[in-house]
Amino acid sequence: MSQVLDADLQGLRARYPGVFRQSFLARYGSVVALAVGAVSVALGLWYLEFTPWRMLGGIAEMGKILTLMIPPYVDSWGRALIFLDALGETVALALLGTFGAAILALPLGLLAAKNVVANRIAHFLARRSLDTIRGVDTLIYALIWINVVGLGPFAGVLAIMTSDLGTFGKLFSEAIEAADKKPVEGVVSTGGGALHRIRFGMLPQVFPVMASQVLYYFESNTRSATIIGIVGAGGIGLHLAEQIRTLEFHQVAFIIVLILIAVAAIDWVSGKLRFAIIGRRSVALA
Amino acid sequence: MLQIQGLTKQFGTVRAVDGVTLSVPPGQMVGVIGRSGAGKSTMLRLINRLEDPTEGRVLFGDLDVSALKGRGLRGWRARCAMIFQQFNLVGRLDVLGNVLLGRSYAVATPRALLKLWAEQDKAIALSALEQFDMGLLAAQRADTLSGGQQQRVAIARALVQQPDVILADEPIASLDPRNTRTVMDALRRINQELGITVLCNLHDLDIAKAYCDRLVGMAAGKVVFDGRPESLTESEAHELYGLEAGEVIDLPMPVQVPAHVASARLADRRAASAH
Ligand SMILES: Nc1ncnc2c1ncn2[C@@H]1O[C@H](COP(=O)(O)OP(=O)(O)OP(=O)(O)O)[C@@H](O)[C@H]1O
Ligand SMILES: [Mg+2]
Repeated sequence: MSQVLDADLQGLRARYPGVFRQSFLARYGSVVALAVGAVSVALGLWYLEFTPWRMLGGIAEMGKILTLMIPPYVDSWGRALIFLDALGETVALALLGTFGAAILALPLGLLAAKNVVANRIAHFLARRSLDTIRGVDTLIYALIWINVVGLGPFAGVLAIMTSDLGTFGKLFSEAIEAADKKPVEGVVSTGGGALHRIRFGMLPQVFPVMASQVLYYFESNTRSATIIGIVGAGGIGLHLAEQIRTLEFHQVAFIIVLILIAVAAIDWVSGKLRFAIIGRRSVALA
Repeated sequence: MLQIQGLTKQFGTVRAVDGVTLSVPPGQMVGVIGRSGAGKSTMLRLINRLEDPTEGRVLFGDLDVSALKGRGLRGWRARCAMIFQQFNLVGRLDVLGNVLLGRSYAVATPRALLKLWAEQDKAIALSALEQFDMGLLAAQRADTLSGGQQQRVAIARALVQQPDVILADEPIASLDPRNTRTVMDALRRINQELGITVLCNLHDLDIAKAYCDRLVGMAAGKVVFDGRPESLTESEAHELYGLEAGEVIDLPMPVQVPAHVASARLADRRAASAH
């Protein structure tokens, strides 16, 4: 056995210097990364003045609140209906915001894709403006839109739309850039123009990717929509904040359970949809 | 008449196609042969204008193909259909839809984008598919087909362009022997029955000899042979593929396998074949 493995070390070293010559980082990289990570956590705890006492105290307090939450219940059926209605508003908000953003992001994504717009300046501008839009959180947009269009769900829809516009534009442009160019050349070679190239060469390839991204964001936006509700942009968030303020923890728990059920339901449905769109089928859709 | 005059394409420092001059009379079936990297694909792509030439030009009758732009260029591409080694179909689109893409120049753009194809166009596409026994697969998604079936869809797509020229870039390189025959027979039939000029890049010299009226041999971007298949001598063929008798001996020896490893492998193989 040792005979088989008796490789010509000197000769191999000479022929493949790159394989044997490893830098310090390549050898001990993971050890260094772990050490850096541990030190940063320690520094962070020190900077935020976390002490073991405060943490223990916090956990005890949390335990007390948790016991107050069980079992979750509502005062009256009327209340429950109000909560359900608000939850519906939250879901609608997320739905309109997400899909509105997706529709607006499609042209921007095309503009920002290198293989669609060859012009470097246009490409650069589209990229940077998408990054700028993306750089601001949904909550900030909610506060801004409330000032523009007033309190209520409309501000919420606009907030989700603006913040996701940047994200979708970026994700779409990356999906488009990763598209296989063979079908595109096939379409061009038949005499198709720019629109044919996009519609048939690219869209069928990237549509499933985009659709699954959009569905994923719909689910995640249902959760963000709760938060922007707290600042007054419509939906269940406002009720949640109110119940916390008045220390009605059973009702807080009830609302949280409602939100969890809604998110799980959306996750389930969008999972099915994603699979249906991506799944291989012999009859074409796109 | 398709005329290629001093056609040159430079990629960085590589002259992929280097001063090629050829003229192809209508209805000829030309096989372009040569080793990998000789510039065969680039030449076809220059003719279809998927690439722009660095120098020289392509003429079709009075039409200066190299000067075309915009809709004129699209019109030319529709007239010289291209068939690719990897088929280049739209995988998620059905077979009929793929064939109808061949009508994308002829049909008004909004109609094509919304896939509102006229009955007439659908009939053309279906009958093209029928000619290659693919009619029953019209509704199936293209990426579920076998390689040979996909290439027949690509040929049908080329046909509905009602082209004057078909450029086929190694149409059989990813196919098994049976599909190779089907596809080459289809190209030959199109050439003979419809009088469409066919330029076909081929790796396989025997296939090229069997199917083509004329062979064009390329090496390092230049045409080094042009004539009837019979007139290509054994030594010329060897030279084309860079396998001159002297060169074979010059090849580096295979890595020496230590004797005990070789005998172990031999034993393995014996054991495997004994099963
Ligand atoms: N887009 C490109 N960019 C840079 N170099 C290229 C490009 N396309 C082709 N080349 C180079 O041009 C030369 C000719 O390539 P081409 O694909 O035309 O050869 P070929 O004869 O079709 O080879 P094969 O039989 O392997 O398909 C090669 O050296 C290749 O590397
Ligand atoms: Mg090639």
